[in-house]
Amino acid sequence: MDIAAYDPLNETPYQILDAQGKVILDHWEQSLSDSELIEAFKNMLFVRQFDTMAISYQRQGRMYTYPPNLGQEALSVASGSVLQKTDWMVPSVREMGAWYMKGVSLKELFLYYRGHEIAQRFEQANRIMPITVPIASQIPHAAGVGYGIKFHGEKAVVLTFIGDGGTSEGDFHEALNFAAVWKVPLITVIQNNHYAISLPVHKQTASKTLAAKSLSYGMPGIRVDGNDYIAMHEVLSGSIDYARQGNGPVLIEALTYRRGAHTTSDDPKKYRTQEEEQEWEPKDPVNRLRSFLVHKNIWNPDEEAELIEGYRKEIDTQFLEAEQYPPHSLDDVFAYMFSELPPELEAQKQEYQDYLNATAQEPQK
Amino acid sequence: MKYVFNFPDIGEGITEGVIVEWKVKVGSTVKTGDPLVEMETDKVVTDIPSPRDGTITKTFGKEGETIDVDSPLVEIEIEAGPGESPSDEEESFGVVGTSAPAGKDDILPAGKDGVRKQPEANQSQESPSQEKVKATPVARNYAKQLGVSVNKVTGTGPNGRVTKSDILEYHNASRQSTAGLKSGTAPASGAQASTERTRVVQLSSTRKTIAKNMLNSTQSAAHISLFDETEISQLVQLRERYKHIFSEKNIHLTYLPFFLKALVHALSDYPVLNSEMDMENNRLIYKEYYNIGIAVDTDEGLVVPVIRDVDTKDISQIAMEIEEKAQKARERKLSLADFKDGTFTVTSYGSIGGLWGNAIINYPQAGILGIGRIHQQPVVKNAEVTVGTVLPVSLTIDHRIVDGGISSRFMNDFLAYVSSPVDMFIR
Amino acid sequence: MKNMTMVQAINNALEIVLTENEKVVLYGEDVGVEGGVFRVSAGLQEKFGEKRVFDSPLAESGIAGTAVGMAATGLKPIIEMQFSGFSYHAFHQIINQVSRIRNRSRGRHTAPIVIRMPYGGGIKAPEHHSESMEVLYAAIPGLKVVIPSTPHDAKGLLIDAVRGEDPVVFMEPKRLYRSVKQEIQEEEYSIPIGKASVVQEGSDITLISYGASMKEARKASDTAQKKGISVELIDIRSIYPLDRSTIGESVRKTGRVLVVHEGPESYGPGAEVLTTVIDEAFLYLEAPPRRLSGFDTIAPYPQGEEWYIHTPERIVYELQRLVEY
Repeated sequence: MDIAAYDPLNETPYQILDAQGKVILDHWEQSLSDSELIEAFKNMLFVRQFDTMAISYQRQGRMYTYPPNLGQEALSVASGSVLQKTDWMVPSVREMGAWYMKGVSLKELFLYYRGHEIAQRFEQANRIMPITVPIASQIPHAAGVGYGIKFHGEKAVVLTFIGDGGTSEGDFHEALNFAAVWKVPLITVIQNNHYAISLPVHKQTASKTLAAKSLSYGMPGIRVDGNDYIAMHEVLSGSIDYARQGNGPVLIEALTYRRGAHTTSDDPKKYRTQEEEQEWEPKDPVNRLRSFLVHKNIWNPDEEAELIEGYRKEIDTQFLEAEQYPPHSLDDVFAYMFSELPPELEAQKQEYQDYLNATAQEPQK
Repeated sequence: MKYVFNFPDIGEGITEGVIVEWKVKVGSTVKTGDPLVEMETDKVVTDIPSPRDGTITKTFGKEGETIDVDSPLVEIEIEAGPGESPSDEEESFGVVGTSAPAGKDDILPAGKDGVRKQPEANQSQESPSQEKVKATPVARNYAKQLGVSVNKVTGTGPNGRVTKSDILEYHNASRQSTAGLKSGTAPASGAQASTERTRVVQLSSTRKTIAKNMLNSTQSAAHISLFDETEISQLVQLRERYKHIFSEKNIHLTYLPFFLKALVHALSDYPVLNSEMDMENNRLIYKEYYNIGIAVDTDEGLVVPVIRDVDTKDISQIAMEIEEKAQKARERKLSLADFKDGTFTVTSYGSIGGLWGNAIINYPQAGILGIGRIHQQPVVKNAEVTVGTVLPVSLTIDHRIVDGGISSRFMNDFLAYVSSPVDMFIR
Repeated sequence: MKNMTMVQAINNALEIVLTENEKVVLYGEDVGVEGGVFRVSAGLQEKFGEKRVFDSPLAESGIAGTAVGMAATGLKPIIEMQFSGFSYHAFHQIINQVSRIRNRSRGRHTAPIVIRMPYGGGIKAPEHHSESMEVLYAAIPGLKVVIPSTPHDAKGLLIDAVRGEDPVVFMEPKRLYRSVKQEIQEEEYSIPIGKASVVQEGSDITLISYGASMKEARKASDTAQKKGISVELIDIRSIYPLDRSTIGESVRKTGRVLVVHEGPESYGPGAEVLTTVIDEAFLYLEAPPRRLSGFDTIAPYPQGEEWYIHTPERIVYELQRLVEY
């Protein structure tokens, strides 16, 4: 698709499937093979299992704070599927599917949410940056990665994520401006899930769309239905093609809805109505793609239970591995501060070790 | 086995939750992830899922009741997994790491200040620090090393600050009689003020310290003394021979270096005499070095500089050092280092005239050796009475550390060395 | 009198200042409808309306910068940085603007803004949610930095901060938000910023701490007392200005001092307190002044916190070593 042809101010998102999984475009040609679609659906199911199990582990006291992905699986799985090995990903926090498909292991994800810092090495995944918690701080990094890609003469692109709330931060604006001025191959996906913790998006911005922000920096922008896997995939593919060909950055606003809480420490009942939540339930991305596949007669929902059972076992195995991973040691606190430990840090570590040795007879709490 | 599941901190620092609704009861079979109970916390209302498969054997708390984080929620009968001990309650998944709910210890007493718009209370003029003197940290360190109580020292520095030299002077003064003799001390007068027939003089701080130290020694150590003598004509000859050679090097050779050398040999034969007792910890501290204090009579009183590592020095070195220390003592130029770390003491009252003395130990050392006047007297040699040169020696030891038997053997040992000095250099 | 947690006490203080001064506005991320992620401002929007208690867009620098302008028009902004770890987004506005308006305009304008931010570790949260970087703000000329450790102090100090004429960075130890309770007066009262609190009098050693570490310091002090060490426990409460005379007076009495805080050691608040000790009590020292602080490392994720946050046992150990020095 010609991404530059879209109007970022258009409030109606680019959409292919309606909530019932029916194609709404008149002259639509299926851009993905059946098997690719089935693969995508399975990945979304898998992400959903991971998500529900993660929440459960957290409630069992076996994991710390976790940000649920429920309802946002389509856009993260689509993002994961369009990235090539040589492409870069600069994550935000709520696109677990994309991480997983980039090569981040479940065990690492669990370790991260179990408060173990080794997790963010992302040992099996290449060209992915670690999570940075302060909102929007990753976007300038992504612009810089884009500059590096150009500098090295690579054909790669860089994909980054941000929430609707993050678009209010200065970092977001500064980064988009840099990216456009430098004309770097950066695709920024705004996950507009309608809430920044408790703040609804209409209180976050007075702009009609978030895609509109692209206009002021001079790059294409498009609003897409982020719960529509196929539309999402097309927009991402088009954007990546555009960027890969050296045309510069693209801003994508993917409309979705955070069906769960901001994190396991949050209770959405305090700031939104149940009616609103129910309104979004039928627009769920998993159901939508399933309906489409069933319509096409290429998916039998009765097979899902067994599939899910297998996923859950696999996820639980990875969780148990994370649980049994050696705990964070004193060395781990110091080891990654500098290339070589300066004398101050060496002394601080030694002093603490001496204390531990001196009191070794008495059991430490 | 029974598994107790504690209510976990599910929300970044929450400390308690209210039971909204039980989803299980005793006897319910649960699988991992099945909801156990709906809880309401400050942050969320949520189901708490089971961490294990099993059968509920106990639930803690009724609906509407408040449960603290880390308190038991349910007890589940589970099958023990590999490596699980059946009786271990701590294996609960309830908490990972530490958490800090408001337990009973965490109720703070009501705040004292901030009562509404009350003017600040006037600060008390009485500074609690007045009991403490000002002293430089280096002075405090010297005081600690020397066992001097800083607060008793009068400072001569700016604003009455106690300096290093104040500590040293105070210490010097206090040491002047620590190795002194009991005999010859006049009983103190009980008079309150000067009259026609008495004269009252306030004790100098030096005298006060001496008094305190002497008292401390006699109260802390169990003094016993023994007395003996030996014929030392070999030593007399030896000294005569070397006196001239030494005098060419400007060294005045007395008997004392030989006595120190003999003493160190005897101490190394009986190391317990070179120890001190640490009663608080029920142990003896053996010194692996031989620093011998020598009592020097000066105009200001008796002082006891230390000759260090006597075992590693030869007679000429010892002789030079004694002379140097004695000179410095008379000029009051001894420094802290000259007094520190003595392990045994020798007092040579004989140089003034006494034959026997009952010396007081330089506490916490184990003993003190008194050297009496060397004199000629009839001695029996090979069944004949001849004129011999005799050295009278007194030894006072701390009976807490060592008994009479060892003391006598030690004495014999010492006497053997002085009577046959060659042994010192051969054995 | 009512038993309150620190969250409740701060909420109570906010209610009092919103009531007594109609120029007070309270805003930040999620502080309005939700009442703050820690529920510190719960119920205040309902009571005082959206005009005075409101949610801002997600932008810390914007929050701090707009407060400067509001203050210029006579408003009294109380703003919240959701976590101190996110306040660095607003660093420029806080250290280049909030702190300097009075000086820059030669007293014509002021920026008496109260910047609230939860800080410190111990709640098992991800990166940036657990650090103690109060020293950054304490080092900036023109800012007051206050850190309470009890519900009572939190309320009194916050009220004083809002009533005052100067910018105050008010850091709240989230580890203590709910983990201590105290009987406190429900009516208004204030505690002057800049006065330390002598929590416990003693004669052998002065233990100085503040904020989150006070919980461990209190426990350590109790344990030490039982071991026969008479501890004078001081909560400095105000990092800047620092109550140097109370510190000096105490150490002149005890001759020994241990400072405990959670943030990094080098150039940390401990260094400032110990310099004060040198200035005020040099000639009374019986042992080297000592600090026990966090490492010069990033505040670790939950699993590493075990190594990072000092236990009462460790504090007792250090107290003993100093007393036996």
